[in-house]
Amino acid sequence: MRKRYVNIVLGGSAAIFFIVLLWWITSDPTRDLQASMPGSDNRGAKTLVEQIVNIGEKFQVFKNIITGTSENWTRFRGEDVDNISKSKTKLKDTWQADEPSVLWSVELGEGHAGAAIYGGKVYILDYIEDKREDALRCFSLETGEELWQRSYNVNLKRNHGMSRTVPAVNEKYILTMGPKCHVMCVERETGDLVWGLDLVKKYNTEVPFWYTGQCPLIDGNKAILAPGNDALMIAVNMDSGEILWETPNPKAWKMSHSSVIPTTLFGKKMYLYSAVGGVCGISAEGSDEGKILWESTAWNHSVVAPSPVAFPDGKIFLTAGYGAGSMMIQVRKTGNSYTTEVLKEYLPKDGLACEQQTPVIWEGHLLGILPKDAGANRNQLVCVHPDDVTKIVWSSGKTTRFGLGPYLIADNKLFVLSDDGTLTMIKPDTKNYRQLAQKKIFDGHDSWAPLAIADGKMILRDSKTMFCIDLKK
Amino acid sequence: MTDQKHSKTMQRRDFIQTGMRLTLALSLGGIGTMAALKTAKGDTVWQIDPFKCVQCGRCADYCVKTPSAVKCVHAYDLCGYCDLCGGYLKPDAIAQATGAENQLCPTAAIKRKFIEEPYFEYEIVEDLCIGCAKCVAGCTSFGNGSLHLQIRHDLCDNCNECAIARVCPADAISRVPASEPYKIKGDFTANNKDQTQSREE
Repeated sequence: MRKRYVNIVLGGSAAIFFIVLLWWITSDPTRDLQASMPGSDNRGAKTLVEQIVNIGEKFQVFKNIITGTSENWTRFRGEDVDNISKSKTKLKDTWQADEPSVLWSVELGEGHAGAAIYGGKVYILDYIEDKREDALRCFSLETGEELWQRSYNVNLKRNHGMSRTVPAVNEKYILTMGPKCHVMCVERETGDLVWGLDLVKKYNTEVPFWYTGQCPLIDGNKAILAPGNDALMIAVNMDSGEILWETPNPKAWKMSHSSVIPTTLFGKKMYLYSAVGGVCGISAEGSDEGKILWESTAWNHSVVAPSPVAFPDGKIFLTAGYGAGSMMIQVRKTGNSYTTEVLKEYLPKDGLACEQQTPVIWEGHLLGILPKDAGANRNQLVCVHPDDVTKIVWSSGKTTRFGLGPYLIADNKLFVLSDDGTLTMIKPDTKNYRQLAQKKIFDGHDSWAPLAIADGKMILRDSKTMFCIDLKK
Repeated sequence: MTDQKHSKTMQRRDFIQTGMRLTLALSLGGIGTMAALKTAKGDTVWQIDPFKCVQCGRCADYCVKTPSAVKCVHAYDLCGYCDLCGGYLKPDAIAQATGAENQLCPTAAIKRKFIEEPYFEYEIVEDLCIGCAKCVAGCTSFGNGSLHLQIRHDLCDNCNECAIARVCPADAISRVPASEPYKIKGDFTANNKDQTQSREE
């Protein structure tokens, strides 16, 4: 009886064990989970009808006035591409209650395009939403009156603003790059169209997120552009629009928001470009002009807005937003060949990093504003030395934070524009943060466009209005 | 006899109908009175100030509810509807697509829907959201800050001592009037924050 009882218990236990085992083996603990697969957002194929864009098709003259000769701010980051004005004009050391005064203001289409200044005229590539036009607008620096406008129809949708590039200007020409990569060259004085180039049509350029921020470059009599996709970089004759050379792009790097920076390293003039895919130096002179001298894919991020910053010893500082952080690379020349080495790579919380603006070199140091994801130092202006860009020499402090706005140096003063239209004047220094003055110039929103200055007049803007302020002593 | 019976039936029906009406009226009156008393006597509930929140992630870990009563909410009017969304995609994601390898949210609680080029709509699935704030950090750092955390009062136990308020490094969690239990961005802005606070005082 006892044995039978034991057998029943054992048999029952074994049956229960096997049932549980069977359940355990056959049951799928992930049965309620749904796999996240690509394509479930029903992203539409780009089937929109391709628009025919006649670059520079329209022209309007509003006023004919002679503007006086003046200092110039010829392109993105100024004549020397360092964001430092070399003007001898003295600027005020501090501001009274009513200073700096706003000389004039003009409403613009929503965007972040900056101005160039030449011969007393202000040039800006605006997007006029109600006409659906990219418009190169020319204003008098003195009065803000609009003198002429060269435009063309192109359909854009608002996407964190629309315009976002700075024209390049020389004595003869103005060169612009529209949000959808339409390049236009016009005569500076008359506004006459010289040539146009659609980079998307010609080179299959992939327009970056939120439209391109690449500011075109005039170097001598050449337009230097970085289309990506079918050509990494091109040079165009400014007189004729003829393509002078094309740099092959076997790795299919794409256009970024970063701009081409001319520099000279080891006695060789070259163009630096931080693409989506990598960074490179392309010969800007001699028999190998247009050839890649060196490249590195170590720096590869999906959104790159700041431009490379080169030091005379071959160090190149690279930075980007959206969590990318920064990298310092070393370019070396041995014989006729170049090599690159990554010296440092880090997240934004660990050293100097910038999201939109390009840092400024001041007395061998780098000045820049950290992004929002930089931890405790977020949004602070910081100073670092290129030998160790992760070591903060000084910061503006937790009570003095800025935004994504621009900064430049003029008359030994650093001007920083915050998103809300507050302008801060700082004494650039390699030892500590020294604020000279601060003033809310306008009630602004997303004041991110690069600054321009000439004759003590600074051009600044928020997303919808451009202002000219007087900083002259 | 028939008339008397009919009359008696009608009286019973009237009695039941009247009784039900009275019961309903009393119930509604009671609820109304209780609601009025609740508002009048200044009951408070816990809520997060989205402008103080530093997205530390503690709301997911310290709330006594599992999963947390803190959920991400989306202020659609502030959203940029970007393809490259810092709240949805990991930094340097392989692709701007819905594959799990690209998503920042550990529980895939954000659904992404194509509207038209170049716009995408993002929706929070609250049942999946654990209040970790990863998306809020991404949206705040790189976007318009439309994603933000709120304590959901249908889930919150309204503890006397809120476990997440105790550990919040930014003191972003405080008691607010039960009559205004949410601080949704858009309605609640950095500008009117002071007014709300003064009302609380």
